[in-house]
Amino acid sequence: MITGVSDGGLQKTTSYKVVLPFYVYGALSFLLACGLLLVNTSAVHSHYFHPQTLAITHLMALGWGTMLILGASHQLLPVIIEGKLDSDVLAYFSFFLAATGIPFLVTGFYLFNTGRILQTGAVLINAAVICYFLNVLNSIFESKKNDVYAWFIATASLWLFTTVFFGLLLVFNFSRSWLPNNSIEYLSIHAHMGLAGWFLLLVLGVASKLIPMFLISKYTNTKTMWWIYLLINTALIGFVLLKTYNINTRFYYSPFFLVLIALVLFTNYCYKAYKVRIRKKIDEQMKVSLLSVAMLFLPLLSLIIVIYFVSMNIQESKMVLLYGFCIFFGWVTAIILGMTFKTLPFIVWNMVYHKRAVGKTPAPKELFSEKLYQIMSVLYLLGFLLFLFGIILLNDVLLKAGAASLLLSAVFYVCNVLKTIFHKPQINGNNN
Amino acid sequence: MEIITNDNIKCPLALEGLYEVYDPEIGLNVVDLGLIYGINFDDSRKIIQTIMTLTSQFCPMGESITSDVTQSLSSAFPDYQIDVTLTFDPSWSSDFISPEGQKFLNR
Repeated sequence: MITGVSDGGLQKTTSYKVVLPFYVYGALSFLLACGLLLVNTSAVHSHYFHPQTLAITHLMALGWGTMLILGASHQLLPVIIEGKLDSDVLAYFSFFLAATGIPFLVTGFYLFNTGRILQTGAVLINAAVICYFLNVLNSIFESKKNDVYAWFIATASLWLFTTVFFGLLLVFNFSRSWLPNNSIEYLSIHAHMGLAGWFLLLVLGVASKLIPMFLISKYTNTKTMWWIYLLINTALIGFVLLKTYNINTRFYYSPFFLVLIALVLFTNYCYKAYKVRIRKKIDEQMKVSLLSVAMLFLPLLSLIIVIYFVSMNIQESKMVLLYGFCIFFGWVTAIILGMTFKTLPFIVWNMVYHKRAVGKTPAPKELFSEKLYQIMSVLYLLGFLLFLFGIILLNDVLLKAGAASLLLSAVFYVCNVLKTIFHKPQINGNNN
Repeated sequence: MEIITNDNIKCPLALEGLYEVYDPEIGLNVVDLGLIYGINFDDSRKIIQTIMTLTSQFCPMGESITSDVTQSLSSAFPDYQIDVTLTFDPSWSSDFISPEGQKFLNR
């Protein structure tokens, strides 16, 4: 019998072909970064401007954090802006350019080849980010709504472009010295544009929509989100100006406190969404995601110590390493570990079961192994804490044990991602 | 959420199948979730018109859920043409969840 569905304005999701390569690349980068961390634990004893530390940091920031977030944001952008992704072609371009550029950049840092290898990587990554930035802007311009969430994503994309472009200048400054100072002098500006402008702004913007959605909570508060948006951007612009004009380091506390207020507001936002949730049971992925919100305060704690040392003119490389570790292996990794298994199963479920439902299909959460996820979570938390104390105590045994545990958690993560992606259709309990 | 229908005899038969159609993320069936607004039976033209909603206009499972609803009704009433109309007016609210559904989500 002929049947029909009138969609009443149901929005179309981004094709899985666009999104999945980002997830696979991100997972493999996390595995590689943990492997490199294990074989280079001795770098913790050196200054943070160390070839292997720079390589691991950029692999974590670009290969893991950025690639995963780019993938997820291509999928979630239509949901956030209530429209559709402008161009799949631009998304493919941003993947292939970044996927090619990141190995060049990481190898360049690892071998400390500041010439062609590093420069090629930086140029390719800039091209990838331009494609992404244009895609985001075009999608937002064509959408019906330009609310606070759209502003979060657009501004975060602009900060990402600013970060990688500034990174490109720093790379070329290694060999041509066209900036007034040595590249190392600008590292904190480059790093914070990426950390606060890109990661923090994007993650908070997207999470403010996703956390209530996955908790099945109707809580929303755009006024609070506007405040968070203004606080983070003001803090970041303030920090860049303070560093650029070399203003007294005691003023560094001001942007710090602005970000702290923003994070307190965001934590309160999540708490309120949690309180009015409809589904009482919280799954493991949401627990890790909510834990990542709490983990945001760890890097802030190390940052205030760094600011104190800087203002006292004390060189303290260990605290800077601790700060970076808490961000990339703490907050960024925790939110990705949690959110991967909230978003990826949906993408794969739609790919496998799209319009083929005859009988009861497995739920998205049945596409990955809950057991593997739990083991991964325990290994991750154990590894994170061991390595954290390894940095504080400069203890090699703790560093090696922590890195090994993180590597094992990455192995479990990759296995679970692959299990999800290669899920075979099962309808009424039978394989087709 | 009370389901509006013009046939109180056929409607329970339709709902029997729809109780087996689940929102895959929430794990609750579309009836107890309050997604079904109305089922109208046009016996002269052999058409069943179903008006329903989704928890969000941006629900990634939207097409799959509506496809499941269509298949379920088609199985229960093979001689009828099935028309599923999605509406977001009124948009879904947690108040639409049945007491059984609330009990399930509060477990």
